[in-house]
Order: sequence, then C-alpha cells, then structure tokens
Amino acid sequence: MSVLFVALPIALILGGGGMLACILCIRGGQYDDLDTPSVRMLIDDEKPKRPH
Amino acid sequence: MTPPDSNTATATTATRERIQRPCIHCGEPSDSYSEQPAEEIFCCNGCRGAYELIHGWGLESFYGLRDQLGQGTMTRVKDESTRYDRFDSDEFLGPSTPVPQADGLMCSELALHGLHCAACAWLIENAALRTPGWNAARVKMSDHTLRIVFDPTTTTLSRIARLLDRLGYELAPISPERDSHFQNESRRHLIRIAIAGFCAANAMWIAVALYAGEAYGVAADHRFFMRMIGTGLGIVAVVFPGRTFFTGAIASLKTRVPHMDLPVALGLAVGTLVGTVNAITGEGHLYFDSLAVLVFLLLIGRWIQFHQQHRSAKAVDLLLRITPRHATRVNADETTDTVLVDVLQIGDTVRVAAGENIPVDGSVVSGQSSIDRSLLTGESVAVSVDEGDEVAAGTLNLQRPIDVRVLAMGRDSRIGKVMQSVEDAASEKIPIVQFADSVGGVFVVIVSLLAIGSFVWWLPAGWSLAASHATALLIVACPCALALATPLAIAVSLGRAAKHKVLIRDGTTLQQLARGGQIWFDKTGTLTSGRPSAELVWGSADAITVAAAIEQHCNHPVAEALVRTACGNQTESLPDAALDCVHRQGVVGHVEGLEVFVGSPAFIREQGFGLGGEVQTAIAQCTAGAASPCVIAVGGIVVAVIGISDPIKPNASKTIARLKSRGWRVGILSGDHSEIVQHVAARVGVDANQAFGGLSPEDKLAIVRGQSVDVADRTSIRHETTVMIGDGANDAAALAAADVGIAVRGGVEVSLQAAPVFIASDDLASVDDLVGASRRTQWLIRTALAVSLSYNLIAVALAMLGKISPLIAAILMPISSVSVLTVTLAWPTYPLHPLSTITPPSESNK
Repeated sequence: MSVLFVALPIALILGGGGMLACILCIRGGQYDDLDTPSVRMLIDDEKPKRPH
Repeated sequence: MTPPDSNTATATTATRERIQRPCIHCGEPSDSYSEQPAEEIFCCNGCRGAYELIHGWGLESFYGLRDQLGQGTMTRVKDESTRYDRFDSDEFLGPSTPVPQADGLMCSELALHGLHCAACAWLIENAALRTPGWNAARVKMSDHTLRIVFDPTTTTLSRIARLLDRLGYELAPISPERDSHFQNESRRHLIRIAIAGFCAANAMWIAVALYAGEAYGVAADHRFFMRMIGTGLGIVAVVFPGRTFFTGAIASLKTRVPHMDLPVALGLAVGTLVGTVNAITGEGHLYFDSLAVLVFLLLIGRWIQFHQQHRSAKAVDLLLRITPRHATRVNADETTDTVLVDVLQIGDTVRVAAGENIPVDGSVVSGQSSIDRSLLTGESVAVSVDEGDEVAAGTLNLQRPIDVRVLAMGRDSRIGKVMQSVEDAASEKIPIVQFADSVGGVFVVIVSLLAIGSFVWWLPAGWSLAASHATALLIVACPCALALATPLAIAVSLGRAAKHKVLIRDGTTLQQLARGGQIWFDKTGTLTSGRPSAELVWGSADAITVAAAIEQHCNHPVAEALVRTACGNQTESLPDAALDCVHRQGVVGHVEGLEVFVGSPAFIREQGFGLGGEVQTAIAQCTAGAASPCVIAVGGIVVAVIGISDPIKPNASKTIARLKSRGWRVGILSGDHSEIVQHVAARVGVDANQAFGGLSPEDKLAIVRGQSVDVADRTSIRHETTVMIGDGANDAAALAAADVGIAVRGGVEVSLQAAPVFIASDDLASVDDLVGASRRTQWLIRTALAVSLSYNLIAVALAMLGKISPLIAAILMPISSVSVLTVTLAWPTYPLHPLSTITPPSESNK
C-alpha cells in the first residue's frame, strides 16, 4: 500500500493542474459571459431542419 | 373586446373574411385574409423586409429556433434607417472606434439593442457570415454587446448597422464608463470558487478513505499521511478562498452589525483550530472536509448574489440609453453639425428630424409637428406641438422636423429626473433579505453562548471531552439547512416560473407577492395592446384604403392604425397617393385626382365640411366607446367615420377578477386621459375610484410610494405589498419604487431592467399564476424552515447532553439539508393547469 505515498500526491498534482487551467481560463475572460455559450451549443452550425 | 368587433365591422363590407393572426416576424396580431398562408402575414413593411432578408440568407430556421427557445418575439422593425451614416465617424463612436487588426481587418465593439434570446445571437452571427466584408460577429448576451470584425475595403460600419436595423436590432456605441470593475470582481469570485472546489473535492475523498479506515482498519502511517494531506487542503480552502469571510466578519465586528459572515468565520476558525490540534495530536476528528465544502457552497451563494446585484445596478445604465446621445445642432449661420448631447449649452438650438427622439428638454422655436409622448406619460394619442410649446427629452417627433431651443438636458431633463428617482428607488430597497441575514445575527450569538456554556459544563470531565462536545454542537447547529431552506425554495420556484415564461430577477419578490395588498396596472401597453387599431364605425370600407394611401406617408400612430386596417398585409394594393399637407389634427392629400381629407371632426369642420346627422351619431358612438373619432372626406363628401382605439388585451378582465378574489385591491394608474382610463376600468372590472388617469411619471411614483394625499388612505397601511405592473419607461420609476414591479412584454427594454419581474408571454393571466405560485412558495419556505429548525433544536439539545460525538454530528448535518432539499423539490409550486392554458384559442392569437 506504499503506492499511496506516490499516488496521492500525483492525484493532487493532476487535480491542481486542472485547477490552474481553470484559473487561467477565468483570467482569460472565458467565464465573463455565462448566458450565451450555454445556449449556443444547442445551435447547429450548418443549416438545420426547416422550422415547422 | 375590440379586435372581434373590428373584424365583424370589416367583414360586413369586405368580401373575404378577415381574421387576426400573428405577424410571422414580430408576432403582433395583424389583419389577414383567412386563406392567406401563415408565412405571408406581416404587420408592416419593416417586418416583411426583415423576413425576406432572413429568408434570402437561408436562415429561416431562426424562427423555429426562436419559438423553441421560447423567449419572446422580435421587436417590430422600424421603417427608418437614415441615421446610420455617423457610424463611420470616430467622434460618434468614441470607445467603439474600430481597431485595426494584424490582418488588415477592423474590429469594433458596440452595444446592441433588441436582443431577446439565443436565436437572436444565432441570427446575427450567421448574418455576418453571409455578408461580404463582414467577417465575424460575436454576441455577448449578458452585456448586450456585439463584437464586429469587418473588412474596411469592402464594407463600412454604417452599412452593417443599417443591415442590423433592417433585422430589428439597433447598434449604439458603448458607453465610455464600462465597468471593468465588475468584470474583475466577477473573475475573482470565480477563482475563489475554483480553488475552494478543488480543495473540497479532494478533502472529501480523503475523508471517505479515512472513514473507511476507521471502520475496517488502516495502517498508522497511511492514516497519518492522509490526515496531513486533508488538513493541508482544508487549511488552503479556509486561508485562500475562505479569507473573504474573515474580512467580512472583521468588518461586521467593527461596525457592530451582526452579519452572516460572523457565524461562518467563527465556525471556520473553531473548526480549523480544533482540526489542526487533532491533526497534530493524531487524535479525534478532522473537520476539513466539511469546512472546505462549506466554503465552496457559501462562495457559490455569494457569487449568485453578486450577479443579481449587478443586474439591478445595470438598470440605470440602460435607462440612460432612452434619450439619444447625439443631437443635430443648428449654428448661427444655419449650418448643422452632429454633436454629443453633453457639449450642448442651454440656449443652443437643435434640429429634430421626423421619426427621431428629442434629445433635450426645450421649447420649439420653429416648425409644427406632433409628438408621441407615450414613453414619458403613457398617452396613447400623439399631441401636436407648435412654436413656443415645450417638448421633453425622450419623446418622439412624428411628423415634421422641428427646431428646439435647449432648456435642460441630461440629468436635469425631465426623463433624467425620472431616471434619478429610479436610481433612488432601487437603492432604497434592501438588496436581498435572507433569513440568514435577519435572524443569523441572533442565531450566531445564541449558538456561541450555548457552545461556551456546554464547554464550561463539560470542563470538569476533561478538556478534550469538553472541546469535543462544544465542537459537535457548533457543527450540528450549523445553520446550513436553515440558511438553505429559503434560497433553495426561491431558486426552485424561480426556475419553475421561468418555464412559464415569467422571469424573476429578485427572490424577495415571491415573498412579497404572497402577502397581498394593492396591485396597480398601467393602462397603455399593459391592460391594452398599446397599438391603436382602427375600426370602421360608419361609411364604406374603401374610404379606409384611400385614407391609408395618404397616411402611409405619415409617421403617426393613427396613420399606422389606418394603414394596418386597410391593407393588413398586402401593402401593394394601396393606390398611389400624394400627401399634400399635414395639419395639426389631420392631413390633406390626393388619391387618383380626388382631394382627400383625413382628420379629427374639428379639423374636417375647419376645412368647411358640414357633418350630417348620421356622421354626428357615428362620432358620438366613437366617443361613447372611448375611441377617438377620425373623419374621412373624399372629393368633397364625408364618406366614413373611423374609431381609433387601443384594444384591451385578452384575459385582462379574467385576471383582474381572479386577483380580486385572492384579496388584492386592483387599480389603474395611467398617463392617459381620465375618460379613457375610466372606460377601460369599467370594461376590465376595476372600480372607478381605483382608476386614475392623467398622471405624470412623478404622480405615479408618489402614489406607488404611498405619499400621495389623494390615495394616502388606501396605501399608507404598511405590511402590505404594492405591486406595479407596467411596461413603458414612464413606469420605470414606479416599477422600481413598488415593492414588486412587474414588466410585461412589448414594453421598453428599459422598464424590464427596472422591474424585478418580467412576463415574457404577453399574457396577463401569468400575473395571477405568479401570485398563486408565490403563495405556495411561501408555504414551502415555512415548511422547510420548520423541518430544519426542529432538526437543529433536537440535535443541539443532544449535543449539549453529550450524546453526539463530532463524527456523528458531521454525518447528521447533511441529512437535515437533504430532507429540506427533498421537501423543496417535491413541492408543487406552480399549478398544473394555469389559467393561461385554458384560454379559448380564439383569444390567444394562435
């Protein structure tokens, strides 16, 4: 079980990397507009079906 | 109801049956022949143009998308696009001046009006891809801004602005004082949440491993290692993102005002201290998992609250956009330049073209025209102005250009003062009265005293045991469920209301609506549709066509109503006509060689026509029905009398009856003439002594605040909620000052920002549904509070008796939250069969 002494710090480092990436995204302004992207992903890029 | 009346009146004279169906672009009810396909129904040429443009790009799926997203309809397209040339001058654009990019393209950020939902964003962004020279567009829904990337060699910004105008969106330069402060603050909040989330999640799974270890055994070095890492994560969560609670608590101590931060900071401090001591000694429970999660959840709550406050602060900013920021100044040598309103001096003269908003308060020095003051006063009928008359900023010049001498502008103008009162009214209100804030202070004092008490009580039994019991009490008494009950119930109700097309900005609204009291309705645009409709009272239907042929050259609500009635949707059938002369109360023109007069009875009389008995009866009939009579004379003979009236919305009387049966007092506050208001009041079932007409925005504000002498006896009783339902900028101050302001669709964007509730469905029945939902939410909150409070009381008692160890306390604590959550989600907040769905199909325009 001594693998725990290696695995736990690695897990924390990986998680910390994710957190840092998230902070960089926030600083970069990706989270400034939280209203549009949530609906934009529902919209198809190319001509979708005709309205009915 | 007026629309069916007008139908029968027209049907008797027209050969084909006419029905009211929604305009395919903007959804306004429009006249159409029954055999016409639904996609050929337009309320005006502007909408037809926008539809054809969208169709030509192959972007028809916009309409399907819009209906699917279900957030309202388009703004009606205005038929004016002459004022976009200035989009090419940097002076006009200010901070929106295009910035050259590395690849030779220009990039500009502009404010965008008329944005409703994601479908609008989709349409604009796709329109950009189909327009040569316009390379990219990016809509930011939260700020209502648009970033445009274009190629200066093939197109100009003014051309893009004009194109968007044809679609019904209006561009404006962004204001210089854009709040980068808000953006930075929002980012800081999010970063704190990210760090706390990381710590909470990791501390959590380490805690799970430790609990499993307690149950099944764990090697001592593994246990020590995990406890150390958990402690480290907990300390990081408390020290970095949790710091904000300590600063808040210190500020609360300094000002001696109990604040939610105080119990949180106390809990965090005690938990950290005991946890650290336990980690070092290797004995007892670690609280870092609970602490990190607590910090994480509280920060999310803070962030939501922060965003709500920002939205109300933006209200005033949006109001500032009603009045134009630019004016055409007339110099001494009769030349004109476009200048910013801020640089104007009192005594300057500005020229206001027909169809433009008047930028300043002032007096007319030359020219005659009529003014649409509905924005400021809610009057449904335009007033005529002549030399020497005073005009107010924000009103719309309808007919001909006028020169205005500046008397006041900006914040000193009448609309400026109204905006000021909106600001005052908004700041008067307590932002969010949460249970935790009002009772939290008392709660924290009691819990602290109890904890100290039980510590002292158990001290003889040993320091460690006393600390353990006191900590268990602090944990189990954590007002999580208690603090969760109110916001959770409100959040769930807000979500359900949004599904019913009722958008609520402020949760306190639900609490206030549950109370009962006085509801004030605005008339124009709220109880009535706000768009006048013409109805043939006497004479031949052909006369309307002839009159409309002339009136189509005018920019006047009455003219619009005539044109709509005459042609419904086939504008091409109007005969060629020339508009000769526009008088204050009527117009003169030529159609196929015949001289045509259209105007008020007084105007027709002035022109030397005799009005016969039948005509007089028809005019009297109009006046009795609260419609403005309009007489048409062709070739020297009076041929028709038309009644112009503002039709009452479907469901209005039903909604008012329901609200009354719920115990609300219902009244009308309107800027329109008293007789019209009384007439509408009688039709919808409002008592005559509760319907007030001829009110200025200031009067409305005074009545809503309960300061008016006339109505003081009715509104001065406190503990009652005053609700204002309106839609115009004229109501903005009253909407913001009322306990609950409800903006209905079809109104100025601005009032939607001043009011905490926005009804997107344009259905008055939603008001009644909302009141019912508020009452049920109130019951839900009480039940949830009772559940969590009784839970806390029992747990605290057990903890004081030493029956609960900190470990069991940490397990019990979330159970109370779970039970509150279950009750909330299972609660039927919204009725299964709202009034709006049982509306007869004939009335709902579908």
